[in-house]
Amino acid sequence: MDRDSFLTRVGRASLTSQLPDSPPISADLPELAAADLLALFRSRSQTVNAVVHGPVTRHGVPRTVTGIATGHNASSFMAWDDLPTPGVTSALQAVGMERIDHVVPLGSRIEHNLGYRDVGVGITGAEVALAESGSVVLVHGDGRPRMASLVPDVHIVLLEIERLDRTLALWAQKNPTLVTETTNLVLVTGPSRTGDIEQQLNLGVHGPRHVHIVMIK
Amino acid sequence: MEGPQVQLFVTCLVDVLAPQVGRATVDALEEVGCDVAFPSDQGCCGQPAFNVGLIDDARRMAAHTLDVLDGTEGSVVVPSGSCAVMIAHHYRELFADTDREEQVKRVSARVRELTQFLVDELGSSSRARCEGCTVAYHYSCHGLRELGLEHQADVLLQDTTRVELEGDKECCGFGGLFAIEMPAVSTAIMDDKLDRIEASGADTVISGDVSCLIHIAGGLRRRGSQIEVKHIVELIGDGT
Amino acid sequence: MNQPVTFLGRAEALIGTHEADAVDNGVRNFLELREKAVEELPALADLRDRARAIRLHALRHLDRLLAHFADQLQAAGGHVHWAVDAADARQIAADILQRTESRLVVKSKSMVSEEIELNDHLEALGLEVVETDLGEFIAQLAGDTPSHIIAPVLHMTRQDIGKLFADELGVPYTDDPFELNRIARVHLREAFLLADAGISGVNMAVAESGSIVLVTNEGNGRLVTTAPRVHIALMGMERIVSRWEDAAVVLETLARSATGQRLSVYTNVITGPRQDDDPDGPEELHVIVIDNGRSQILAGETAEILACIRCGACLNACPVFRTAGGHAYGTPYSGPFGSIVTPGLHGMDPWWDLPFASTLCGACEEVCPVRIQIPKMLLQLRRQAASEGRLPGWLEKGIARYARTTVEPARWERAKRWASRLAGVIATDGWIRRMPGPGRGWTSSRDLPRPAKESFHDWWRSNRGS
Repeated sequence: MDRDSFLTRVGRASLTSQLPDSPPISADLPELAAADLLALFRSRSQTVNAVVHGPVTRHGVPRTVTGIATGHNASSFMAWDDLPTPGVTSALQAVGMERIDHVVPLGSRIEHNLGYRDVGVGITGAEVALAESGSVVLVHGDGRPRMASLVPDVHIVLLEIERLDRTLALWAQKNPTLVTETTNLVLVTGPSRTGDIEQQLNLGVHGPRHVHIVMIK
Repeated sequence: MEGPQVQLFVTCLVDVLAPQVGRATVDALEEVGCDVAFPSDQGCCGQPAFNVGLIDDARRMAAHTLDVLDGTEGSVVVPSGSCAVMIAHHYRELFADTDREEQVKRVSARVRELTQFLVDELGSSSRARCEGCTVAYHYSCHGLRELGLEHQADVLLQDTTRVELEGDKECCGFGGLFAIEMPAVSTAIMDDKLDRIEASGADTVISGDVSCLIHIAGGLRRRGSQIEVKHIVELIGDGT
Repeated sequence: MNQPVTFLGRAEALIGTHEADAVDNGVRNFLELREKAVEELPALADLRDRARAIRLHALRHLDRLLAHFADQLQAAGGHVHWAVDAADARQIAADILQRTESRLVVKSKSMVSEEIELNDHLEALGLEVVETDLGEFIAQLAGDTPSHIIAPVLHMTRQDIGKLFADELGVPYTDDPFELNRIARVHLREAFLLADAGISGVNMAVAESGSIVLVTNEGNGRLVTTAPRVHIALMGMERIVSRWEDAAVVLETLARSATGQRLSVYTNVITGPRQDDDPDGPEELHVIVIDNGRSQILAGETAEILACIRCGACLNACPVFRTAGGHAYGTPYSGPFGSIVTPGLHGMDPWWDLPFASTLCGACEEVCPVRIQIPKMLLQLRRQAASEGRLPGWLEKGIARYARTTVEPARWERAKRWASRLAGVIATDGWIRRMPGPGRGWTSSRDLPRPAKESFHDWWRSNRGS
């Protein structure tokens, strides 16, 4: 059906619609008790089976990342181009890990995709961490592939310690235009999981099985 | 002792199937000084018809109930959460934009479920008594969710030996005519409830609504259970 | 599918089965999880009010929001299609897939795709469609339909699944959920990477930016919408909010109500296809906005049901769902929400009995994150069914007779006396064990206390005089 006819139908339906009145609410979100955001974030991340490291100094980040990667016996990695600290990708290559190319060519997409069958580690930055839920927000774009936090078995997030907020609703209220300015944004709350088989929790279904968040001071 | 005048709306289920609950209600109210009147033309509040969508029949019964209660004095006390809700909440929509609108406002404002009346309104020191028994309490859905009845039972039962009933706020499966329209489903829900009652260790199960009570009692009896089933008011007032 | 035509018929076939037991255990688990999540956030009550206000506002301005959404998405390089019904939607999806020469399609969870019966249609056209949500994948392998909107194979045990994988995937039998998970991961990873197109649902659209929000736990939703060249998103037209801030509030209530999680693992906000400077992502994004009876619901007294955000909490709380299971409802939308939406979308034939599959206990409304007045709408639909003459004759006549009797005191007295006399004959020890006619429904599994020899009225007359 064409757009105008479709929307006219909807508009006509609205005329006889019997919707109840909305409950009264205030413009401001409710006050939450003061919280040590970092401690809350650590605790909530743990609940969703993510591991929080640090705070680590900027200089210490490459060593921490390498430690995590080799601890998982990874032999390949993907990484965002603009990580918050330098030296990470070179440190991984220095211990013999292969960096996977992440720019998908228009012509031979599937051939490129098959290279993602087995990627050990993906390293990204993050826009902010949300303490209440133990989440991190990834904004994708130039040099920031979506697949880096998706296909590898291990996802490592590098995040400056100042980038902490309390809840999604509060953060969204403070950043109302962020979504209009990006093509793809993801909130990641721990490793991928399912309870579909007898409600038993299983990690690492299709996305990463391990999420490590390295806080940087 | 001159106490408040109250009108008893006894409910059709109590009248026919559990009159001892009505007698105990009178006793419990008189014990705290109420002057109990019983408008004897009362019949049914109309809920069975209302719940199956037969609105004209519901209206007919509701109109009669309004006429019986209007013009009498004092709170209308009802030993049933679901019937109290029917009159206090649902009559409004039955008679919206009719010439009974004012009458509905008058009457529904006077309705009180029994435990709410005793505990919250009168602040009475009524207590349930049950020598040598172990009680479990089942919260009837309409009273719980539409009237917010929760702490009243706790107050009234504090002198009894009470055990936890798992799933005590879950439906017993009666649902009015649902019980005979969809008997297999009603029975399955009832079975869950009865299993939990039996597992609780209680020898007496109590509730505030005779609709739940006849369902639970009927099921327990069919199982050959010795567990007693009573309305909470039967532990407060005498049935004599 | 050959199934009984009434809710009761389908329920009778399921009650007490292995499937129903699995459902019971499953939903109790969800309820416990939700309970914990709700307790810890005192502000949740306020969030629910906000979420309700946000959704009602969207429904009130639906045409305007949809128009704005489409403008914004198109400006970002996406395509918006408008499907008036299921056939229209299937056609649009098929056309896109054919034009893009897509053969292998991966799907993430979408109730709307079940509603419009898309898979069968695409498969008949020669496409291969792979469900990637683990539960849906299992259901697909089993040739079954999902029984719960959040946990599609709530009705299967690990042994059922182990046997299924052994039979259909040729792997050695295991019923260890960890192993089963790993088997599915490896099998489906190939599909993601090789697929030409991905089909997803839409949890929520954001009008101000032309964005769609996808909420998943497994990562399949992200893979389906990132790896293939083409992304088709199926959107029920009512699943929209005004602004990003509004979406954030609704998201906070969604996961907590559904599974007790504070947020799902992946909350993905997509605004258009891959741009020139994006290293990955689909090259084409198509959102198909679907009516299929929703405008009909919007036009009437059950419009409020369109505020639903598909969390599944009402299913978990419902004693009828718990005992009868999702398949008893006959369509992809089950539980209290399904009882209202199904007759709304598809009419009262044969779905008039779904609103009667309820004890009106109100547990659903209690847990709904947007506080939908479900019992009120169940009653409205029952009224509609009654006015259309759909109630069984014995019920209509019985209630009419009861009404006539109870409004006349003398008649009521006579009826009670008569009942008491009859009871004296058929009861033993104060209980009735067998009743004729519709009463059989009761006495098949329960006794009934006999109408008392002395009613309350009798006692009052004798003792208090009037």
